[in-house]
Amino acid sequence: MIAVRAYWILPNRDQRDDVFASDGRVTVPLRQLLDPRRRPDGFSHGVPTELLEKCGPKGLARILFAQKFPGWDGDKQIFCVSATAGVDPSGRIVHIGLVFVLGPGERPSFDLSYSALPAEDREHARALIDRMTSAGRDDPWAQSVRDLLELPADAGPATNVALDRSTVPFRSLYELGPNGSPRKAANRARWRTRALLLSVVIAVVGAWFSHAKSCSGAPRLDGSSLESAGGNGGTSWRFN
Amino acid sequence: MPLPAMTVLRVFLLLASFPGAKKQAVRLAKGTRDWWSGKKIAVIGPTASGKDSFLARLQNREIPEIHANSPMGEKVKSFRVKLALAADQTVDITCKGVINIGGETDYRDTPSGWLSVCKGADVVFYVMTVKDLAEKKYLKGRRVRQDLDWLMTALPHLKQDALIHILINKIDEEIESHTDYEAFAEELREELRALEKTANKVLHPYEARYTGATLISMKNKQIYTLAINDALRSVYSAFHGTTKRQKVA
Repeated sequence: MIAVRAYWILPNRDQRDDVFASDGRVTVPLRQLLDPRRRPDGFSHGVPTELLEKCGPKGLARILFAQKFPGWDGDKQIFCVSATAGVDPSGRIVHIGLVFVLGPGERPSFDLSYSALPAEDREHARALIDRMTSAGRDDPWAQSVRDLLELPADAGPATNVALDRSTVPFRSLYELGPNGSPRKAANRARWRTRALLLSVVIAVVGAWFSHAKSCSGAPRLDGSSLESAGGNGGTSWRFN
Repeated sequence: MPLPAMTVLRVFLLLASFPGAKKQAVRLAKGTRDWWSGKKIAVIGPTASGKDSFLARLQNREIPEIHANSPMGEKVKSFRVKLALAADQTVDITCKGVINIGGETDYRDTPSGWLSVCKGADVVFYVMTVKDLAEKKYLKGRRVRQDLDWLMTALPHLKQDALIHILINKIDEEIESHTDYEAFAEELREELRALEKTANKVLHPYEARYTGATLISMKNKQIYTLAINDALRSVYSAFHGTTKRQKVA
């Protein structure tokens, strides 16, 4: 029985009935570690098909998909990150994942052993660990996962990249760009805020300008009378 | 398109034409068409049993280049499809609210898994393979039997009159052409009977909701057309029979 709170979700290469997991040494059905009935709504055991389709065959190997479920089982948190890991006998893409069950204030540590995994899984496990531990900024997928880690817990369930077809709503800091790489989704929100601020400024300036114009025109003498622009409480003078 | 492991379809039958068909066949086809109109379907079954191929066949397309073992519930865009009830009888169907989710037992048992997808369905198609049948996976403790047990526990939570139909896929691996279909069905008679018996026993007291099993191939278009036509009619006929029995009772 695995006692640690970090484990690999192994690729279902043999089309077995259960999803299997390993702590790097012992392999057991995932259901023994994480009861399916208690898994968070929308929990993904790999890379969503939506991302695979959007990235296309050339971008598949680069995808990292991560999810964060704060407030799971009281004050615990589930964090998982997955990548593609080859194909099964039917030619279907299979996935490898790394799942952490974290206590309050804990952070995932990407140092889980993979030496005892089957040889064909080991290579994918190593690649996943390497990408998550590398500080390189040239990997936008890994960066999006790192940014997801920093997202405050009160943000609710979140994914590193926005999904359109998920049946469960998630918050995401990134969206998929046209080149199949993640880009900051916050930019759009920032531009929206800027546009809103600009329109408020224009409205205020416009209102002030029209007010100033009406004020400057108010004390004008037409030879016979002058009315202040005071509205209902205004005063009128009549010159004789 | 994803490899669907589980799918919910809302079906709207819009058109039908029956030129030159016999009166009784027309009545059955019309009854089938009318009954299926607006029905919601759930497609469930073990991983790699052919649920995605079923979806692809419904969409009249081949299995796409990128297909995957579905890791989470995902919505699929609505689509329209023509379905043949017979050689000269077709119906147009619009499928809406389609959701894909995995076939592993993990997905079956998660809160947002099979149950949530089957909840609103009028007909649940359970897809298994002819290999599962040959290996007697309907026996106690084995996968098909476990899924039938799951269906039994799920039935009280499904629509009151939800029906269950089994599709036994991949018969193209055993026969070469649709002309061998009947002979192959005869060959499997004993196994089919045993499956039927198990399904009726496990689903008791809901056995009337079980509408039978159909041998099918999602890969071979001719076999598929023959079989899906039969499955649609079988479900309708079983419903009709149940309703009649209920009225008599």
